[in-house]
Amino acid sequence: MADRIHPTRSSNTKGKNRKVTRRELLTYLAATGSSATVLQASAALGLVPDTTVDIPQIPRVDPVNRPSVVVLGAGIAGLTAAYELDKAGYDCVILEAAPKAGGRCLTVRSGDVIDEVGNPQRCEFDDEDHLYFNAGPARLPSTHRNMLHYCKELGVELEIFINENKEAYVQDDAMLGGKPLKNKLFTTNARGFMAEIMAKNFEPKQLDVAFDDWEAESLIGAIRSFGDLSEDDLYKGSFRAGYLKGGYLEHGVQEDVVAFKELLKSSFMRSVLNANEGETGPVLFQPVGGMDKIVDGFVRQLNNKIYYSVAVTSVETTGDGVAVAYEHNGMKYMLQADYCFNCIPTHLMTGISNNFSPSYREAMAYVRRGEAYKSAFQTKTRFWEKDDIYGGISWTNQPIRQIWYPPHGMFKQKGIILSAYNFGGGMHFTKLSQEQRLETAIEQGEKIHPDYRQQVEKGITIAWHRMNHMLGCSARWQRNRSGMTAEEERLFNRIREPEGNRHYMIGDQVTLHSAWQESAVLSAHWAINDMVKRNSGGSSMPGRRIS
Amino acid sequence: MNRFAKFTITCYLAMGSGLALADQYALVSNDVQPLSNKVCATCHGANGQGNAVVGGPSLAGLEPWYVRNQLLSFRANYRGGQGSYIPAFEMQDSVAELSDSEIDELVAYISTWPALDTPATFTGDMSHGSELYASCAACHGIDAEGNAALNAPALATRDDWYMLRQLKLFKSGFRGGHPDDAIGAQMQAAVSVLETEQDMVDVVAYIKSMN
Repeated sequence: MADRIHPTRSSNTKGKNRKVTRRELLTYLAATGSSATVLQASAALGLVPDTTVDIPQIPRVDPVNRPSVVVLGAGIAGLTAAYELDKAGYDCVILEAAPKAGGRCLTVRSGDVIDEVGNPQRCEFDDEDHLYFNAGPARLPSTHRNMLHYCKELGVELEIFINENKEAYVQDDAMLGGKPLKNKLFTTNARGFMAEIMAKNFEPKQLDVAFDDWEAESLIGAIRSFGDLSEDDLYKGSFRAGYLKGGYLEHGVQEDVVAFKELLKSSFMRSVLNANEGETGPVLFQPVGGMDKIVDGFVRQLNNKIYYSVAVTSVETTGDGVAVAYEHNGMKYMLQADYCFNCIPTHLMTGISNNFSPSYREAMAYVRRGEAYKSAFQTKTRFWEKDDIYGGISWTNQPIRQIWYPPHGMFKQKGIILSAYNFGGGMHFTKLSQEQRLETAIEQGEKIHPDYRQQVEKGITIAWHRMNHMLGCSARWQRNRSGMTAEEERLFNRIREPEGNRHYMIGDQVTLHSAWQESAVLSAHWAINDMVKRNSGGSSMPGRRIS
Repeated sequence: MNRFAKFTITCYLAMGSGLALADQYALVSNDVQPLSNKVCATCHGANGQGNAVVGGPSLAGLEPWYVRNQLLSFRANYRGGQGSYIPAFEMQDSVAELSDSEIDELVAYISTWPALDTPATFTGDMSHGSELYASCAACHGIDAEGNAALNAPALATRDDWYMLRQLKLFKSGFRGGHPDDAIGAQMQAAVSVLETEQDMVDVVAYIKSMN
């Protein structure tokens, strides 16, 4: 059995006395299914990258002849660009298509409208501070230092976001007949069995060059601890999965062991154990009261510079600047600025008149629209709290993919749960009517919480592919999973470069890591730094070098 | 002479001119979120020039009677109700709740856009396309000028990628397949002369060449 699920190892052991390299050991550990093990091991070997704060150092401009900047789109990237340039003395305006700022940084509360093309909804949640739904980004990783920098600078109060909760569920129709399993049972049993396999196959002699006796002992100790193995290196269940009963005043009774073969039926063996590592690992934050508190923070600084409900109709570079034509309330306007920072989605920019070069337009037209879908319910009671769940995520292989329990508002009467988060291929829900979307979410949620239908009320859905003014979620540069092709690299590098020296595309759409606000911020920083670099010309003279 | 260009703001249609931006707009409160009445522009462009990337064809220059027919067809679920072609589905949903008077307004609004030429994005076998077009000409006219009496729109200025897609949708029964869609059924029957995708490419390339 071990060999069947360890093809990597069995092929490595053909030569009995072959030395195991560090890379092979990591591959071997990865093949057992736990990148937790790999991460722990690789951190010890010094392979994990670092992040840096990268706030642009913009030379202050001549206050009499302030360069002008037009920012298209008041999403996180546009707000960041305007905020930094405004601080440095640039004369900024932001044109926003929607009647509010934030773009995909959208929090939905009582009375708010979700402006989905063909499916507009008004949010019927009760009017209470804790009853909100982060329909776009909902998590701030502690390593996203630039986002945290702005939260601090803009006075946005943060609280801990709970992503992983071992009391939440894993549900897979292929496993245990579809019966939901507490994450703690899934994880503890999976780790136990994997550790048993690792311990049984552990041969320190094979590691004699890379590891000395003490290190080998340390590693087998880690494996035993990883799976909570008995003294004979067998997995016989663990109290880590909780107690069936007792444990405090009477001797505890262990939960039954879940058969490894049953766990292996589920594809979650490949994801649940590492679902809370990397960017979604602890510690994560959320703004108190909703993600759009960050937008509010920027808007407080830029309020008289943002113009809403503006439809940009043309963007043209003019040699020494950028001309933007737009409509508002049926009237047409033209605006000329020295620079333009544009976070209009590339797939919409291709439909707006422009005089961009073919290579720039080609790059814009290549980017595919993201399809993420989310939905939420207000609930009559916080039923999950009776099940020891406070925050965190339940996983399912049904199209809803996830159920999120709010990490705030503990013990209050009601709460908002995320009832579906289909982050790729969200078209399943996008194609359904509003009624079908909500009914599907209920039917699928019932497989995890039997009284789900009785508990949920006031549903709301958001298909980013159809959101007015956006028509897409996070941009996708890769056509396949094997990484960017040389052609994709070329297009990506082109779109990052300014057009006519004065027009920059920004937003997470022009980064390699879309779908995170940190990427939106870094795209704005990149563009600003590039503008400063191109126009300083190494001169310390005031003003912009023109020849 | 300033080394920096200042903002220059021109007001084409405003009552006054030379007004600063701030005088024109009252800032919208974040609490107020009226539904957009400019949904069309998101896909079809502010001037109706279209956007192939999101599947929105150009509308500028379309005959008003044709625009009305299509809005009514989408509303009645003749178009966009079947299959999984997302742009048609988005379009169907967008117009599903429009009233007759709103459709009147939209038709009038769209007719204000000046006609645009759309560029050819592919080529084909022109002589083959010309042969195939002979049967199309019966309704759409020898110069593809259209014929309102036969519900046949002018073609030569339309997007070639859009015409090709529509031919495929007619061919597959996705468009013109609704039992109550008499006009669509007429066209669905007519595309039977186009047997292969190459036939469709050639005939569309020929149509564009008449522009």
